[in-house]
Amino acid sequence: MLEISELQRDYITEILNISMGSAASVLSEMVSEEVALSIPEIDFLPRSVAAGKFDQTNMSKMSGVTQGISGAIYGDALLMFPEEKTLSIVRILLGEAVPVESLTEMEQEAMCEIGNIILNSVVSSIADILKKEIVSSLPRFIQGTGNEVFSVESSNHDDLVMFLKVDFGLESQSINGYVTLILNMDSLQDFITQLDEQINAIG
Amino acid sequence: MLSDSDSVARDVKAEQTGLLANLFGKVLDFSENGLFLVDSDRKVILWNEWMVQASSLGREEVMGAAFVEVFPDLKGKRIESVINAALDAHTASLLSRSLNKAIFPLYFSELGGENQRIEQSVTVKPIQSDGHDYCLVQITDVTPMVQREGVLRVLAKEAEAALEVAEEASRFKSEFTSTVSHELRTPLTSIRGSLGLIASGVMGELKPEIGRLISIACNNTERLLFLINDILDISKIESGKIGFVMGPVDLLAVLLQSIEANQAYGEQYEVRYVLNDVVGGITVYADTDRLMQVLNNLLSNAAKFSPKGVEVEINVIRKNKMVRVEVRDYGSGIPEQFKSRIFEKFSQADGSDTRKVGGTGLGLSISKAIVEQMGGVIGFNVPEGQGTIFYIDICLFKEK
Repeated sequence: MLEISELQRDYITEILNISMGSAASVLSEMVSEEVALSIPEIDFLPRSVAAGKFDQTNMSKMSGVTQGISGAIYGDALLMFPEEKTLSIVRILLGEAVPVESLTEMEQEAMCEIGNIILNSVVSSIADILKKEIVSSLPRFIQGTGNEVFSVESSNHDDLVMFLKVDFGLESQSINGYVTLILNMDSLQDFITQLDEQINAIG
Repeated sequence: MLSDSDSVARDVKAEQTGLLANLFGKVLDFSENGLFLVDSDRKVILWNEWMVQASSLGREEVMGAAFVEVFPDLKGKRIESVINAALDAHTASLLSRSLNKAIFPLYFSELGGENQRIEQSVTVKPIQSDGHDYCLVQITDVTPMVQREGVLRVLAKEAEAALEVAEEASRFKSEFTSTVSHELRTPLTSIRGSLGLIASGVMGELKPEIGRLISIACNNTERLLFLINDILDISKIESGKIGFVMGPVDLLAVLLQSIEANQAYGEQYEVRYVLNDVVGGITVYADTDRLMQVLNNLLSNAAKFSPKGVEVEINVIRKNKMVRVEVRDYGSGIPEQFKSRIFEKFSQADGSDTRKVGGTGLGLSISKAIVEQMGGVIGFNVPEGQGTIFYIDICLFKEK
């Protein structure tokens, strides 16, 4: 298990929230609608615990967007919401409601773009902290239970997940979702080392 | 000093590279997508045939020109910033057609017709090669998808509107039925009361022929009241006006109670109820009173349609998360042509039978409505030999 100090936590949260702010303004401009994004909580959890967290919070059916990251760190970045929340986010942002119960192909594509904007911001902030290059791949729409999304069965359970709670503010609604970065242990150690150097540099 | 053979090898290599570049260029020209490449100076260095056709810009105009010169209207737009991000921060981006209407000025070149704008979905990807950064922009024509979803949207809205009309009609029908039945019941009750008083003789001795007529009137009023109560019942269940009190119910206790309640009725037909393989401790998830109503209906039906002197068998079978209660009679069975309508309202196999055995023809449809409201299934089987098995499958109660 990876422990991080209060100071480290505050620092990461601060940096991520700055980039969330710019992601929100990109989205706002695109849809001519007030969009607010913030990250109130961050945690480092083993893959299986992160998957369990989805299922516990009554979010057994999740959907969202994933994209691969490589370079200084490698793994997967995910933005997940309970299935019905994904539906309302897309439909509020597109401003037209299709009376069908699942996202159409084009709505899925729109969700991919929304996720892409948010995930790119998060990944760029992390690249900034690391002062190294991170290459991201194209977003993909995914759905499933926590275990399926995190492919708990097929992969290494010890992998740590950087677990960020995201508040998506839309039309006076606050929609809760999660951004998670599945990273291997070495990447994370490196991340924490860099973090400490920067915090020390600030004094 | 380079030897001759070195320079020959170099020439061969250069020729091969040139050939390959030509070949790749041709391959890209066959692509069904628009493709162009931007280098780190933001200059266009690749422009495939699809782009030539859709933009009406030839390679000679575009190659080596800056992206914002090729598309001056896109300066400062999102597409420019994601190209910059791909080159500077190595992020890949997707621009969906729904959130970015008509990203590039690209058109179908219809002969004669008016040019139609191509609906686009655009991906922007960083590419690193030999230490250089490039950005690949790929454009997919999603016009067919947009048209498909347009049709889907219209159909979905129509379906929703049709459903609303149907629900409204059904609501109206239920309300109408329940109001009419209610209005009929009140006067009927007083007619029955009055007739009952006359028939009992308290209003004075009746001549035998009058007594017979009064008795016919009494019986038929009684029947009419049963019928109206059943109609009221079913319309309430169907409209969801009856609240079900769902909870754990001891199946055996309800079964025994129901058998006891029907004992006297069975004796009229000289029929005895037999409960096979009694297993205690089965708790189902149901409304006790309503479950009892269904069981009473099945038991009385079985008695009605049994020949004199035979038994009606009751079996309880556990299946996975459900439990099945079977009621078997040894009657003449259900006529083939009637099987599909048996749970419909006012259905009895034939008129003569109706008269002989009584009943409103609503019992099974009420039972079906109740069982389904409780999350169960009602049905029947034709067993080997004689008779019919009616069964209900109800959910077992599961502890939290």
